[in-house]
Amino acid sequence: MESFPIDSLPTAGDIHMACFTAVKNAPDLKEKLQNQDKSLTFAIVESTLIMDVFQLLLAATKAAHDNETGKLATQTISSEIIYNLSPSKNIAESLKRFGISEDTTSLIAVKIGGNPDEIMEEMSRTVDGILVSFSKLDQDKDMVKLRQYYKIDPKVTEDKEILNWIISAIAMKNVQ
Amino acid sequence: MIHNAQLIKQGAEAKVYLAPFCQRQAIIKERFTKAYRHPTLDKKLTSRRVVQARIDTPTVYMVDTENYLIYMEYIEGCSVREFLVTPEGQTETAQTKVAQEIGRALGLMHNIDVVHGDLTTSNLLMRKETDGSVVLIDFGLSYVSQLVEDKAVDLYVLERAFSSTHPNTEVMFEQILKAYGESGKASKLILKKLEDVRMRGRKRSMLG
Repeated sequence: MESFPIDSLPTAGDIHMACFTAVKNAPDLKEKLQNQDKSLTFAIVESTLIMDVFQLLLAATKAAHDNETGKLATQTISSEIIYNLSPSKNIAESLKRFGISEDTTSLIAVKIGGNPDEIMEEMSRTVDGILVSFSKLDQDKDMVKLRQYYKIDPKVTEDKEILNWIISAIAMKNVQ
Repeated sequence: MIHNAQLIKQGAEAKVYLAPFCQRQAIIKERFTKAYRHPTLDKKLTSRRVVQARIDTPTVYMVDTENYLIYMEYIEGCSVREFLVTPEGQTETAQTKVAQEIGRALGLMHNIDVVHGDLTTSNLLMRKETDGSVVLIDFGLSYVSQLVEDKAVDLYVLERAFSSTHPNTEVMFEQILKAYGESGKASKLILKKLEDVRMRGRKRSMLG
C-alpha cells in the first residue's frame, strides 16, 4: 500500500492505495459496491481503467474536497472517488464502469484518511487477492474502454495526450 | 493560506502560487472575488474547446469554486517576454522560430472561436521539454466569439504588447502574422480587420 498527502486539503488525511491482482472475490465485492454497502469502507476501482496514478489521486482529492464542503453527489466519500473518475454524471453508470465487474481480477483499493496499518489490514481482509506494487499499473490498460468512456478523440494517440484528456474530463466534471 | 504554496506572482486580478498537488508541481491561481463575469461557465467552454482542438495550454486539474482557486499544470520553461531579453532570444533565427510557433498557436485558437482577451508576451510560455513549443496561458479574460473584429483586437493587443515592451521586434511580429495567416480558416479576413483596428485603436467607435 502507498499513502499520498492531499496538499490542497491536509486535514482530510492521506490517500491510501493498494493494488491487488489475482482477485478471486470480485462478484462479492461488486455487489457491496453497487449497493453502497456500509461494510465496504474503501473504494474499489477497476485498475485497467487507470492510466496513471495521477488520475486516481485527482479523483480522490476532489472527493476529499467535496466531502469537506458537503457536496458529495454519492452516499460516501469512497463511492465519490469512483464517481469522480467518470466524466458522466450518471451515478449508477459511473460506479458500474469505474468500479469493478464480476470478472475483474485486478483492482485498486482506495481510502482517504485513517491509520495506514489498520487500512492495510482491512483491505487485505476484504480483498481476496495478491497485493502488488503500483508499477503494475503500467500494464493491462483497457484502451478501448478508456477511449469509449472518456470520449477521447481518435486523433489523440500519444499516452501523454490521452492522460491530459482524461485529467481535463475529471477536472471539469463538476464545473457548471 | 494554501498549504506548502509559494507565491510566484501577484497581479491585480489574481495571485499565482506554485505548490505540490497529487505528487506533481502545480500552479494554483487564486482569483479575487470581484470576478465581473461568471467565472466557471466560460472556463468550461474554453477548456473543452481548447482540449479538443489540441491547443497547447496548461491542463486544468481542479476548479475549487468555493475558494476561487484553479489548479493547473505547471509548465517548465520561460515566457516569450523573458526569452526575448536573453542573448539567444535576440537572434533572428530564434525569433523566427518562436514567431512561427506563436502565429500557429493563435491561428488554432481563433479557429475554434476562442478569443484570449489578454495576449501579452508574458502569457506565451515556451515549454522546455518540447524545445520551446509555445503554450498559451491565462485564459482568465477569454471568451468565445466568432467575430472577426474580436479576433483582430486580440492580435492588436499582442501587437501593442510587443511594441511597448520589446523594441526592434517589428519583423518578428510580421512573422507572427504571416504564420497566423497560414494557419487559420478566416485568418486573411482577420488580418485585414487588424488594419482597421490599428487605425482606430482597440475600442469600437461609439458612433456606431
